[in-house]
Amino acid sequence: MNTGALLLFVNAILTTLLSAGIVIWILRKEYLPTIKRLEEEEQTNKNMEFRNQMKKES
Amino acid sequence: MERIVFFIVVAIYILAGVAVTRYVKNKDDFYVMSEKGSTLLIVGTLAATYLSAVTLLGIGGMVYNEGPVPHVAFGSFGAWLGTLFAVIYVGRKMKSLNCQTIPDFFEKRFNNKWVTVIAVSIMIIALLGYGVVQLIGAGVVLAEILDIPFPVLILLFTGALLIFSALGGMFGVVVTDTLMFFTMLAISLIIAPLIIGQAGLDQIKSLGEVIPNYWGVTGAEERPMGWVVSQFLMWILFFGCTPALVSRVFPAKNDFVVLKTAVIGIFCAPLMQIFIFLAAAAMQVLQPGIDPADRMFIVGLMDYTPSALAGVGLAGLMASIMSTASTLFVLTGFALAKDLFENVLHKDIDEKKGLILGRAAQIVIAVVVCIIAIMQPSSIFWISIYAGSIFAVSWMPTIIASFEWKRMNSKAAIASMSAGVISFIVLGELNKREVIHLSPNFDHFYVSIIISIAALLLTGFLTKPTEHEQFYYEQMKTSKLSTSTIQSILAKPNGLAELRSEYKKTFTYAVSFVVISVVLWGYFIVNMAL
Repeated sequence: MNTGALLLFVNAILTTLLSAGIVIWILRKEYLPTIKRLEEEEQTNKNMEFRNQMKKES
Repeated sequence: MERIVFFIVVAIYILAGVAVTRYVKNKDDFYVMSEKGSTLLIVGTLAATYLSAVTLLGIGGMVYNEGPVPHVAFGSFGAWLGTLFAVIYVGRKMKSLNCQTIPDFFEKRFNNKWVTVIAVSIMIIALLGYGVVQLIGAGVVLAEILDIPFPVLILLFTGALLIFSALGGMFGVVVTDTLMFFTMLAISLIIAPLIIGQAGLDQIKSLGEVIPNYWGVTGAEERPMGWVVSQFLMWILFFGCTPALVSRVFPAKNDFVVLKTAVIGIFCAPLMQIFIFLAAAAMQVLQPGIDPADRMFIVGLMDYTPSALAGVGLAGLMASIMSTASTLFVLTGFALAKDLFENVLHKDIDEKKGLILGRAAQIVIAVVVCIIAIMQPSSIFWISIYAGSIFAVSWMPTIIASFEWKRMNSKAAIASMSAGVISFIVLGELNKREVIHLSPNFDHFYVSIIISIAALLLTGFLTKPTEHEQFYYEQMKTSKLSTSTIQSILAKPNGLAELRSEYKKTFTYAVSFVVISVVLWGYFIVNMAL
C-alpha cells in the first residue's frame, strides 16, 4: 500500500467533507428553524382562512 | 505563436476590465462591488488564487524533485483548510459586520489608530514581498519564452493590471479573476491529465522504487518531520487570515453565496492543485533531471503538450501571475486609500472624491510595484522569505481573540502583532546566521506563534478593554450574516419560497460535492494507493 498517496487523496476528500459538513451544520442551525417557523405560520394562516371561508359558506 | 497568445490574453483581460468600469459608480462598487457578487464570480475569484507562480513553478518544482507528500498532503492540505477557515469563519464574520477590508475590521473593533497603522503596515509590506517576488520570478521565465525584454514585460503587465484594477477596483478584479479561473482550470483539467496520462499512474506510483522515499511523508529530501508539520500549521494560519482570501467574501451577494462558495470553492482547491502536482511527478517519469526544477512546468508545456494546448497553458500561467498581481494591486491600494487615508486620518470625503482617491492609490501602487520589479532590490527577496508567515504569527491570534475574547483590547493587539513579527524575523535571522541553534524539528515559526499568543494573553489580562471595545464586542456577538440574509430575502415578494429554495440548493450542492469528491479521489486511491 502507498500510504503517502493514500494520505494525499484522503486529505482531499476530507477537505470537501469538512466544508460540506460545516455548511450543512450552519444551514440546519441558522436557517432551518426560521424556515420551519415561517412555514408553520403560513400553514396556520391558511387554515384560518379556510375556516373563515367555510364559516362564510355555511 | 506564444507572443500571439500573450497579446490576445492581455487584450481580453483589458477589455473585460474596461467593460466592467461602467458598473463602478461609487465607493461601494469600487471596494466590494456593492455586494452583488454571484456564486460563480465569488467561486471564480477565490479559486483563481489557488494557482500562482509559486504553485506552478516553485512548489511544482519541489514536488518534481522531492515527491508530493510533504508539500501537498501537508503544506497544501493546510492551505485548503486555511481557505475554509478564511471563508466560513473570518470572512463571514467580518462581512456580517459590514467590513470592506480586514484593517477596516481592526478600525471598527478597536477604534485605535496605532492598531490600524501596524496592521496596514504589516499587510502592505507582506503583500508587496509575496506578490512582487512572484511577479519577478514568473516574469523572468515568461520574458525568456516570449523573447520580450523583462522590463518591457513588467511594464506591459502592470499597465494592463492598472487598467482593470484602477478603473474597476474589486469589480474589475473579480470579473477578470473569474475569466482567469477558467484558463487555469484548463491547465488543471486538460493539460495536467494529458501529461499524467503520458507517464501513466503505475509509473508515477513506482517512483518510490526509483527515488527512495519519493512517496514518503518526509519526501526524497528527507525533510525533518517538525518542518513538515510546521508547513501544515503555517499554511493553515497564513491562509486563514490572508487578505487575499478573506477579502473575496466581502463582495458576495448574501450568506448563501458565501456558503455555496465554501463548498464549491474549497472543492476546487485540491482539484486544481493535485492534478498539477501529479503532473509534476509525471514529469519526473517522463524527463528526470530538469535543472532548475522550477522549469518543470515550462518543459511539460513545451515538450509534452500539443502546441495549441501549450498556448492555453501559457495563457493559464499568465493568468496565475496576473491574478496574484491584481490582488496585490487592489488590496494594497485599498489599504492606502481606505484604511490609512480615510480611516486613520478620518478624512470625510464624498463618493466622487473617494473613488478618485481609490484609483489614485492604485496608480501609486502600480508605479511602486513596477520600479521594485524592474530594479529587483535584494530587500524584496528578503521580505518574501517572511511574507506568508508574518500574517500567521501577527494577525491570526489577534483576529481570533478579537472575535472570541471579551478582554481583547487595542494594547493586546499591538503587543501580539509586534511581538509576533519581531520575534519571527529576529529568530529567523539569528538561526540563519547560526547565532542560535534551533532543532530542525522545531521551526522558529512555532516559537513566534507562542510568543505572539503569550504577549496577547499577558497584555489582555493586565489591561482592560475600553468602553468602545466592550460595546463593539457585544454588538459583534449578536451580528450574524444569516440574519441579514433572511431579512433581505423575506422582504421580497414570495420571500419564504426563495429562502426555502436557496436553502435546498445550498444543501444539495454540499451533498453533491461530497459525492463528486469521494468518486474522484476514490478513483486515485484505488489506482495509486491500494
